[in-house]
Amino acid sequence: MFDSQKFIEEELVEIRNTVKGNAIIGASGGVDSTTAAILVNRAIGRNLECVLVDTGYMRKNEIENNKKMLSTLGLNVLVVDAKRKFYEKLKGVADPEQKRKIIGELFIRVFEEIARQEKAKYFVQGTIAPDWIESGGGLRDRIKSHHNVAGLPEKVEFEIVEPLRDLYKDEVRIVGKALGLPPEIYERQPFPGPGLAVRIVGEASEESAGIVREACAIVEEEIEKAVKEGEMNRPWQYFAVLLPCKAVGVHGDLRAYGNIISVRAVESMDGMSAAYSKIPHKVIEKISVRITNTLKDHVSRVLFDVTNKPPGTIEYE
Amino acid sequence: MSRALKVYVVDNGGQWTHRIWRVLREIGCDSKIVPNTTPVAEIDADALILSGGAPRIAWESPKLGCCVDYLKEFQGSILGICVGLHLMAVHCGGNAGPAEIAEYGLARIRVIEEDDLFKGLPREFMVWESHNDEVKSARDFVVLAESNNCKIQAVKHVRKPYYGVQFHPEVNDTEHGQEILRNFVHTAKI
Repeated sequence: MFDSQKFIEEELVEIRNTVKGNAIIGASGGVDSTTAAILVNRAIGRNLECVLVDTGYMRKNEIENNKKMLSTLGLNVLVVDAKRKFYEKLKGVADPEQKRKIIGELFIRVFEEIARQEKAKYFVQGTIAPDWIESGGGLRDRIKSHHNVAGLPEKVEFEIVEPLRDLYKDEVRIVGKALGLPPEIYERQPFPGPGLAVRIVGEASEESAGIVREACAIVEEEIEKAVKEGEMNRPWQYFAVLLPCKAVGVHGDLRAYGNIISVRAVESMDGMSAAYSKIPHKVIEKISVRITNTLKDHVSRVLFDVTNKPPGTIEYE
Repeated sequence: MSRALKVYVVDNGGQWTHRIWRVLREIGCDSKIVPNTTPVAEIDADALILSGGAPRIAWESPKLGCCVDYLKEFQGSILGICVGLHLMAVHCGGNAGPAEIAEYGLARIRVIEEDDLFKGLPREFMVWESHNDEVKSARDFVVLAESNNCKIQAVKHVRKPYYGVQFHPEVNDTEHGQEILRNFVHTAKI
């Protein structure tokens, strides 16, 4: 079995041997980067600065909540508002791989700027095994360019440190728990680095981000409510995706013509294979009614995705 | 046992190569992932697992590196998964190529012969698949399991300690996957 204490002890030695001086970490508030942050913080203390980038593709209230959460954990946190940069660079870009690469490069340029300010020579990332496996290289086919691996530009100004590289999500959760993280963090559902940008199929405009942000919030709220009421178990991951096609509807005797939202919920252990969640129809119906009613000007139809991984992937791009 | 069994994973570029390593580690083996270009003389393992991967058996077999050398010279049990199985079948005089019906994700397999791999397991269970190619004929192999769309899901060589599976026992969603890998490991000798 995976021995988290042994892993932590070995990594602390390794980090202390590698990181000499100031370091920054790309922190999203997710399980991986928060666990990596706590680990590195334990090794080098306050020499670590957490950089939380507001890409404009974060979920509802996520930046404020995550800033508070990271500070409460005793970490130094710096929030960088890069929304305009991200929206601008992604304007007119529909190809999923190109989107991921632009996002990867934008992230790194933001981190380089902060590293210069902080005189940090080390950049820590919460990269885990599926990130580099799916990014491909050598014999391995590229399934998608994870922003923190294949999305990296060829030249970067600092040394990259990835203490969780060989772990899968379930193992990271065990390490996070062993490091004293509260359950609401180590049990958090995964959220992709490129954020809502990969939950908008095609061009990820600011307006589309607003729609999918609201739809994701509804999916999360309704599912979490149903879990609390004992109607279902919490899926491994659950979210909404905005599709680049439209469908006709009827709203109060008037023709409507709006976008389509796909609701995705999956069961997995490590994200490398997944089965779609068999969530109760009553819950799916509530989600559908709420999305089509509150987002009436944008969404005319809601679908539920019944694809496993493989042949699908969990996210859409 | 004086030391843990050394079971190495030969990397053919699969999405789940690292998963095989992880399950072996959980079973208690001493394991590492080695590139498929590793010379056979450098392999000091007790058993080998040839991983799956993107190379297509009919026209990309050079990408499988030294895998044929392992089949010729390695002394010990070998398990071929997916393209590892395809290569094994072709090497022993059988045939493999594009599947008539490819399988991705969930499939049910039926065990025909329990043999070593399926010892103590149910006759039918759900597995996870991800293949474009399949074994068409397996000379000198006994077929141990089948699915509706693929008649050769698991094999065992009639003389050598060679085993092969088309599905992916290393994937968490495959039922009894860890037991199948443990059963394979039990065929190995220090």
